[in-house]
Amino acid sequence: MDGIGFLFAGFAAFWLLLGGYVVTLGWRQVGLKRQMERLERELSRVGES
Amino acid sequence: MANEQTLTRPGSAGSGRNVGGTLDLGLADAGKAGGDRWSVVVNLLGVLSVVAVLAALYGALIWAPREAQMGDIQRIFYFHVPSAWVAMGPAFTMVFACCIAYLVKKDLRYDRIAAASAEIGVMFTTITLITGPIWARPIWGAYWTWDPRLTTTLVLWFIYVAYLMLRSATPSGHRRARLSAVFGIVGYVDVPIVFMSIRWWRTIHPDVLTGQDSGLDPSMRAVLFFALGAFTLLYAYLLAVRVRQDGLAMRVERLRHLLQQR
Repeated sequence: MDGIGFLFAGFAAFWLLLGGYVVTLGWRQVGLKRQMERLERELSRVGES
Repeated sequence: MANEQTLTRPGSAGSGRNVGGTLDLGLADAGKAGGDRWSVVVNLLGVLSVVAVLAALYGALIWAPREAQMGDIQRIFYFHVPSAWVAMGPAFTMVFACCIAYLVKKDLRYDRIAAASAEIGVMFTTITLITGPIWARPIWGAYWTWDPRLTTTLVLWFIYVAYLMLRSATPSGHRRARLSAVFGIVGYVDVPIVFMSIRWWRTIHPDVLTGQDSGLDPSMRAVLFFALGAFTLLYAYLLAVRVRQDGLAMRVERLRHLLQQR
């Protein structure tokens, strides 16, 4: 692999790691929001009864 | 953060009962205006950091001149050095400062910021430890050597991974915060060791930022410093997002607790 190949590998590694972390953050955010909505609905139902 | 104080037990303000069709958690208006303003700031920071990082990418790949001896592989340096800077500069220093702040003030918000910053620091240290060897292979002829700079950076990665593992193994609360704070303060000792390793021991690792003759062309230096600024902005944005997410996780936990009390 020549210099360009290693350069590409380095940048690919950088974007994969950063992108992976950002995707994980986004996934966690979606999961938390869904949990929050579900718990609010349940609390509302319990509050009504 | 104001919402932490207004989410209360049943029978008081923010009772959890259904009031006028809306769920009365005492969260509705408390700090809403402040929260909206904070969201705008965070989103603006996000846009700025994305633009800055893309501009840094352009500078690194296109604008910066080709290095005479190393060729194009040298361009990795414009991402490798800023990643190392973010990890050892703002990220782990924030962990250190927040750990001290927690021990002094006993405020769990500092513990949460420390944890968020450590996570981002570990991510950037991982980037440093991967991009460095990729650069090293064609230049030094080997992916890894037990050079002082490389070794101390690897130790630093282990320290903060252990910090995160300690936190995940301990139930949330003041005990975890206390343990993490002590660990975070002691672990920071390695940061100046990494930085000074180039001066204290014989090393083949280049000393570009502080060396007297870094061999950097002025335009290369300009791209490098721009990338340092762009990555710092990115760190600030990721930290803001992560801390906000922690606030949301805390609210979910409290809602769950409220539901269990019914």
